[in-house]
Amino acid sequence: MPLELHDETANLVGVVTVDEVEQLAGWLRAAKRPKVSLRRCNHLHTGALQALLLFRPKISSAPNDAFLAAQVLPLLTGSSGPANKQGSDPP
Amino acid sequence: MNPLLAQFLAEANDLLAQVDEGLLQLERVPGDPELVNEVFRAAHTFKGSSGLFDFPELTRLTHAAEDLLDAVRGGRLTLDSGMTDDLLAAFDLIRGWLAHVTTHERLPASAGTDAAGLITKLRAPLGGEAAPAAARTAGVPAPVIDVAPDWLAWLDAEWLTETAAWLATTSSTLRFVWYTPDTDCFFRAEDPLHLVRQVPALEKLGVVQPEAWPAPEDYDEYTCMLSFVVVTRAAMGELNHLFRYVPDQIEIVELDSDAITRHLSGEPPLRAEEAVSVVVTAVIDSEVSADARAVLQAAHRALTLEGAVAEGARLRSVRHAVAAAAWALGVPVDVAESSPDELIATVVRLAGEAAPAPVAPIPAQLQTQAVAPHEEKEPVGRADDPGGQVGTRVLKVDQEKVDRLMELVGELNVAKNGLTFLADAAEEEFGSRVLSRRIKDQYAGLHRIAEELQAAVMDVRMLPLSVAFGRFPRLVRDLSRRLGKTIELVTEGEDTMADKDVIEALGDPLVHLVRNSLDHGIETSDERIAAGKHAAAKLTLAAVADGDAVIVEVSDDGRGVDPERVKRKAYEKGLISEEELETLTETEAVDLVFRPGFSTADQVSDLSGRGVGMDAVRASVEKLGGTVTMRSKFGHGTSTRLRLPLSMAVTQVMVFSVGGQRFGIPVDLVVETVRVPAGEMSRVLHQEVVMMRGEVVPVIDLARALDMPSTLAEGADRPILVVSVNNQRVGLLVEQFHREVDVILKPMEGLLAYADEFSGTALLGDGLVLLVLNMKEVLGLAARVA
Repeated sequence: MPLELHDETANLVGVVTVDEVEQLAGWLRAAKRPKVSLRRCNHLHTGALQALLLFRPKISSAPNDAFLAAQVLPLLTGSSGPANKQGSDPP
Repeated sequence: MNPLLAQFLAEANDLLAQVDEGLLQLERVPGDPELVNEVFRAAHTFKGSSGLFDFPELTRLTHAAEDLLDAVRGGRLTLDSGMTDDLLAAFDLIRGWLAHVTTHERLPASAGTDAAGLITKLRAPLGGEAAPAAARTAGVPAPVIDVAPDWLAWLDAEWLTETAAWLATTSSTLRFVWYTPDTDCFFRAEDPLHLVRQVPALEKLGVVQPEAWPAPEDYDEYTCMLSFVVVTRAAMGELNHLFRYVPDQIEIVELDSDAITRHLSGEPPLRAEEAVSVVVTAVIDSEVSADARAVLQAAHRALTLEGAVAEGARLRSVRHAVAAAAWALGVPVDVAESSPDELIATVVRLAGEAAPAPVAPIPAQLQTQAVAPHEEKEPVGRADDPGGQVGTRVLKVDQEKVDRLMELVGELNVAKNGLTFLADAAEEEFGSRVLSRRIKDQYAGLHRIAEELQAAVMDVRMLPLSVAFGRFPRLVRDLSRRLGKTIELVTEGEDTMADKDVIEALGDPLVHLVRNSLDHGIETSDERIAAGKHAAAKLTLAAVADGDAVIVEVSDDGRGVDPERVKRKAYEKGLISEEELETLTETEAVDLVFRPGFSTADQVSDLSGRGVGMDAVRASVEKLGGTVTMRSKFGHGTSTRLRLPLSMAVTQVMVFSVGGQRFGIPVDLVVETVRVPAGEMSRVLHQEVVMMRGEVVPVIDLARALDMPSTLAEGADRPILVVSVNNQRVGLLVEQFHREVDVILKPMEGLLAYADEFSGTALLGDGLVLLVLNMKEVLGLAARVA
């Protein structure tokens, strides 16, 4: 399952496809202070990226995937500073 | 074959027919928004599904057609017949490709070149605006250095400056891709980000977000709102290949350091390009920053001019100007105490930042461009939306399966009929009347179910006549253009239903009739006006249900059939005798056109007139158990009426026996059955006749005609079956009448194929093979015997 959704935290695992987009957006909509870990995420569907860009959850850990880390993460963490790489991994 | 491809091919057929029909209608009612939409939607669906397969030429061609239709839909263009021709040609080409795909699972090798010409033609009315993209993908080398596009502004200036410097040092270039996915691209299983991450040697990725995100509650996660700027070292070819399915959504430029620097400095590009879609917000922004840049450049010149501003008021004013420019650019600097050298450094730094950087996340115009098409389109049904179903669910079934089902129904009928024989046997052989009754009860129940089953299967096989009429708008259009005649085609009763076999068999006769009408019946506009008729001829295809039959009528208001000319021609060709030439009535004369070898056409055209027309029509219609009649009023038009059975699958036959053998005759032909006392039979010349209700009916002894022993006793009542053939009553002397049965008629094949006297065989419930008579041939046979 590419999405592990908890109350305030979510793990994106593996390849997040278009099928997960609606669920992810729904969770982001509902969560008050969402935190998302991309550590084990290999690819995000554009729709998922778009949802993350809109709702701007806190990215709790950076992806291991090189492309995501280099090109996508900076977009999600904004220009406010470097990615929070020390973020704890939610259980 | 890949099931997805098979499905695509099946659907493509429908879509192509839809497009064809829509285009033709559109030509008649130009600008009907509903029609344009319909055609556009079909083309759009076609393009969408073609993208699933590796047929880039197909996608490109449909895309060009779609663009043209979109322009028509948007009211930017009016469809003229030239465009319609191009569009039709495009879809014809596609039809040809798909036939190739069906057998070889790939497009013909010539697809690319075939498509290129058409694409250019289709693009031409659009001002060829999208042509460069198509041309590039078609392999024409792009100009090495493009002009920096406005969207370069989405990349951050600092990075651009560094990159420009590096490119200058190495005198190399970079490819910049501007990728704006369609808003509904997620529905086509596209993942733009995935596409982007496949770009080899990705140098820099910019994601352009919408200027204003919708409120979270209004946010549609299935609308793509992002655009991408991709900078890569990958070659043009690699990019073209990667983005081959979305050539319309990308823009690729190759830039060197000069182009980038020029962009950075805000100078207008060397070559004026029709980049009309200048980003609106950027323009507003750059008005301020352009001023600031001008100030900074002036300051830079002033400062670098040796000794010009070393001291005092000049320096202060330059400082002031720089500070103001910096403020305008949104990067206030404190230069109050700077020395000239520090000031130069500041100016250079500011100039870098003054590159037109985006202030708002997305230009307003691009935003509306991206969203507007979505609003125009029909709401796209989501894959998981249960309410998305429109109309009834249609199951596509292979024809063969329905045929098989029909065959089984026939077998069931035969087996069912066996029960009545069993009932008879129970009573006669085993003497159990009760058992016989019960078997008959069972039979009645089974009969009802079998009837219903048969009706249900027949219903499945029923198709509307529109299927048979469907090809005519195109045919009439093409032919009338070729013949230079103006013809309006009217179809009526297209929703009349008939069995698919009938519909299929109707195709060729109808084509014959319509061609005949177009070629011979309908005059040219000049002749029509001279005859006091409307310049545009009217050709009507009409269908009505008539009990167990369907009547199809092809009528025109052309010149009609000249009975005198027909008679003369028939006489010249030796088809009628001299007496007939004198005595034939007009109606009979018109009927002569159905004689084999008859043709009034003085010239054989490539349309019709080879003398194989009307008799072929009559033959094929009669083979179906139908009739053809023609009515014509000279000078006012002709109408040909085909009467066909609704279904050919099951035939009701009347069974009778002759010489101890049973035969069948289609019930449709039977008028009545009578028993005539032997004494009432009389002879006129050599023909036996019987008087019935004041009418003389010739009687044919079937036993003699079929060369079988006559078993009728002298003086016994004569059972006579009165049939109607070609509107003439004929009595058949038979031995005994039996029941009517429903049978599945199998044509005479193989060794029996020569036996024209029989139209087919059928299996009876008791396992007996029934020969069904072909009355026309039997009458001819009887005439020869007598």
